[in-house]
Amino acid sequence: MAEHGEQHIGIPGYLGVFGILVVGTIVTYLVALIDLEWIFPGMNTLVALLIAFTKMTFVVLFFMHVRWSSKLIWLSAVAGFFWLAIMFAYTMQDYLTRSVVGR
Amino acid sequence: MNGEFSAEADIKRSRRKTREKILPIRNSKFNMAEHTHDDHYHAPGLQHQFDDMKQQVDSVTIGMWAFLAQEIMFFGGMFTAYLVFRSRYPMAFAAGSNYLDAFLGGLNTLVLIVSSLTMALTVYYAQKSKRNLQVLMIILTMMFGTTFLVVKYFEYADKYEHGLVPVAGWNKVVGETGTDADLEEESEITPEKESLPTPTDAGGVKAEKANPNGEFHISQKDIELVKLAEREGYLTESEKIGYFRDVQFGADGKVASFGEIDVEKYTGKVKIFFWIYFVMTGLHALHMIIGLGIMLWLLYKAWLNTFSAEYYTPVEISGLYWHFVDIVWIFLFPLLYLLGRHFLAGGGH
Repeated sequence: MAEHGEQHIGIPGYLGVFGILVVGTIVTYLVALIDLEWIFPGMNTLVALLIAFTKMTFVVLFFMHVRWSSKLIWLSAVAGFFWLAIMFAYTMQDYLTRSVVGR
Repeated sequence: MNGEFSAEADIKRSRRKTREKILPIRNSKFNMAEHTHDDHYHAPGLQHQFDDMKQQVDSVTIGMWAFLAQEIMFFGGMFTAYLVFRSRYPMAFAAGSNYLDAFLGGLNTLVLIVSSLTMALTVYYAQKSKRNLQVLMIILTMMFGTTFLVVKYFEYADKYEHGLVPVAGWNKVVGETGTDADLEEESEITPEKESLPTPTDAGGVKAEKANPNGEFHISQKDIELVKLAEREGYLTESEKIGYFRDVQFGADGKVASFGEIDVEKYTGKVKIFFWIYFVMTGLHALHMIIGLGIMLWLLYKAWLNTFSAEYYTPVEISGLYWHFVDIVWIFLFPLLYLLGRHFLAGGGH
């Protein structure tokens, strides 16, 4: 693999990503204590998920080396989450539009 | 003369041909290295079905990502269940979430992130052919993985102690009287208990705390919060149907009226949260245990100095698995531990 060039960000890079993940975790915890629901209902959850997605992106790109991987790997990684989104979307468009009567 | 020469040459030529036929069979490794020396270098870890290291690494990596895509769907099914029930009963989910220790959950998130860092460094040192640092990083990764499981054990034990395992009989059995410490704790939480009608009402603190059959139960405080949310108009239609008794529907199909809160029904909804909590964190913990097994094997291999800049695919692939398990927890932590924390921190809306 050596001939394909350095496929990592080096120790300072790894420590940087680690720092971002730690900060993200602490921010997730602190934001959860603040009431953001006045912006719109579910704002707290949205912020928590946005931070989680950011953390995931850093792990996937740098710790899992997708940043340097082939297009096929990119496609596999994205496809997994794309199908997950389809499952969420179709499940919820059913559940959220059902009548609550009779349950 | 000429003929003799050519006959001699023929013999030599045929001998050489025989040697070329036999040699690859007798000493194929040596011969192959001789033959392919100019084409490309043969790495020690290359298996015979692949042309070269790049093809092998690409094949193995795409295989692992196919497995990880399957894992996304595996956990995705449970995340979908979470989504459906949380959207139906947000109040019950927030109540269940507040029984979890957010500090321990956050601590475990940090522990996993550190273990992801040491895993990434394991791959780094394998790429640099540094055997000792590799071994050290693998041991550190295993230590943090074990720490995670130990913290998880204490969390589960706490749920068992407090009657939060959603299966009757699987919780700690508390006698009719309970202990003094239990009574004190409970009386602090439920100062307004006398005003509450409960179906299992035996009149006092003792009956509420006692858990002779090891059943799942929640605190009176949660019931109070539902009443507060109902007064303030925060409950959804599905929550009114799910928490209250004597629900009547109007002509428009909406909830027209309902009676008192049904503690049994509401407890059942909190129970759903704990089912999801135990199944999701339990399967995540199972992934951690499998990951530790993989790390043990990796430690053995690294100890034997198997990996180098030319061949470190097993380290890389094991790392993909370890990081994936970390990612699952990155989502589990806010979704399970941090619901409605602002509600308590800010003293309600």
